[in-house]
Amino acid sequence: MQSSSFLTISDLWIERGERDLCKSLSFDVQSGDVLRILGENGTGKSSLLKVVAGILSPLEGDIFYKGQEVTEKRQILQENTLYLGHSAGVKKALTVEENLRWYCPTSSSNELHSALNTLGLLAFSDSFVSTLSAGQTKRVALSRLWLSKQKLWLLDEPFASLDTEGASILEKRIAQHTALGGAVMLTTHQDLLSLQSRDICLPI
Amino acid sequence: MTYLSFIKAEVLVLWRRKQNVFNALLFFLMVVILFPLGVNPSAEFLAPAADGIVWCATLLAVLMATESMFKEDYADGSLEQLIISGLSLPLLMLLKTTAQWLVVLLPLLLMMPLLAEMLYLPDGSFWVLIATLVIGSPSLFLIGAIGAALTVSLKQGAILVMLLILPFYLPVIIFATSAVRAAQLGLPYLGLLAILLAIFLLSLVIAPFMIAIAIKASTN
Amino acid sequence: MNWAWFHKLGSPKWFFHCSRPWALPLFIVGCVSLVVGLIWGLAFAPEDYQQGNSFRIIYIHVPVAMLAQSCYLALGVSGLVYLVWQMKIAPTFIKAVAPIGAVMALMALVSGAIWGKPTWGTWWVWDARLTSVLMLFLLYMGIIALQNSLTDLLLANKAVAVLSVVGLLNLPIIKYSVEWWNTLHQGATFTLTEKPAMPVEMWLPLLFSTIGLYCLVAGLALWRMQTEILAREHRSHWVKEEVMKHGL
Repeated sequence: MQSSSFLTISDLWIERGERDLCKSLSFDVQSGDVLRILGENGTGKSSLLKVVAGILSPLEGDIFYKGQEVTEKRQILQENTLYLGHSAGVKKALTVEENLRWYCPTSSSNELHSALNTLGLLAFSDSFVSTLSAGQTKRVALSRLWLSKQKLWLLDEPFASLDTEGASILEKRIAQHTALGGAVMLTTHQDLLSLQSRDICLPI
Repeated sequence: MTYLSFIKAEVLVLWRRKQNVFNALLFFLMVVILFPLGVNPSAEFLAPAADGIVWCATLLAVLMATESMFKEDYADGSLEQLIISGLSLPLLMLLKTTAQWLVVLLPLLLMMPLLAEMLYLPDGSFWVLIATLVIGSPSLFLIGAIGAALTVSLKQGAILVMLLILPFYLPVIIFATSAVRAAQLGLPYLGLLAILLAIFLLSLVIAPFMIAIAIKASTN
Repeated sequence: MNWAWFHKLGSPKWFFHCSRPWALPLFIVGCVSLVVGLIWGLAFAPEDYQQGNSFRIIYIHVPVAMLAQSCYLALGVSGLVYLVWQMKIAPTFIKAVAPIGAVMALMALVSGAIWGKPTWGTWWVWDARLTSVLMLFLLYMGIIALQNSLTDLLLANKAVAVLSVVGLLNLPIIKYSVEWWNTLHQGATFTLTEKPAMPVEMWLPLLFSTIGLYCLVAGLALWRMQTEILAREHRSHWVKEEVMKHGL
């Protein structure tokens, strides 16, 4: 068990409904890695991320975070992980800024505004999320990537609803994060234009 | 996310969605009105029945208020984020239920003087009724939240939640109305208030964990 | 202490094979004992000096009421076992037994009403016992309703377990509060359900019908569980073999 690897997954067996999504899946994620999970619709890409994040439980298998076993108690992993699912937890009843202050209460106003600026949302920071488009809502969710201190990112279809400009901003941010030692696991149908990634193809 | 930022966000959302609270209170008022209109508006009927009417209306209104407390969070993905936030999910659920309780109970208590007049509530039992509401209502919210969590993934869960949860409300209404009646007759009622408190403490210990289990099982 | 048997019990396959030979005998023993008890009690036991012949309904009422309560206790314990130890058998037990318990509660209500008519003149009386059984019936219906409304199996398992545990914790509170409520409103000295000291000729048939009903319900429960196990595990190897060998 290398202590430099963020995440070590061994012999993971995930079952959803009546199907086995993966069996005896093992891999590890090192710092600086971008791991891309590929597969057709319904092969379990989202479920794999959810199992790592701790939303779903695997049937069997072990998960280690920096050498520590976290399969039963995910707290240490969860404190150091940022997970963005399909519906990314952006509350429609709050404004953009209020949403970000909920998730990242320790960020300063300057950091907030600079993140919103990068994503082109600065003009909307006091708008209710219910008035934004799907792409803008996605950008609000993604703003956390500029504000959080967590090292491991689990991103489920982060490029969905983004236009080409948004996609390239996101790729740059992922590259920045991994260059500083973070790690990213993501699912996507699109090819990454500027990032090097390792691929895992489901089903195994 | 921290506990404080969660509380702030919850309170903000409750404030922005205050129409839901108004709806619950209006429903409460409507149920109270049903009794004089549907049965008998005379003081001979209403005065001895006033405590029961208020409590029946409270049960139904609290069920209405709590039934959908998790639905919006389920739909927009916030529940998932709460699960993986690294914070204690039972504690988060307790905080959310507490916020819901405060926001519904305080206006309800403000309505009580008016309702006491409308229902000819006998003198001397007003404050005991208030006490039963304050001590008994947290249990209603905690247990109601369990029902809401169990049915959060269903599109139309309202009637189902009522079917599931109303049996658990019966002890609360029995002891609450007994306490008010005892006060009206000049009999000791503190023991009954203590039982209400005990039911509240039991729900306080059990409900957050049950809610967390149900929420985790529902998000997938 | 050797916990291996405890964990083995959780395996559906082991349970299926172990319980296979028991279901039919239990059911038959139960039927026989119940019929013996009922005929003896309904036809041959001596008349009660106070209530005449109408008290004979206790030979039905008492067993079903006891079973309704025992089944709920078992459901609650099952739910707890599932939440704590994740035993796969537990939600199967809950799903199989809930309808049985509901029917028992319903029969207790009906037999209680039949008892009440000649004794009190009305079909229903709000006494503590009958009202408690009514609450129990509603608790059962809640579990059945929840089980049927949730389509995702994992969620249904957990949800029903949570509800049965919460129900079990509340059951003593509900019973106590109903008894309290009853003393406030009735104050009757002789209730429908008081059991005066009974001579042997009276309670022996009662014993037969009670034990008989327990066995019958156990047999029924095992059958229902076996069917449920076959349905839930239908993808696994051993089920396919089983169906091929024995048919359904």
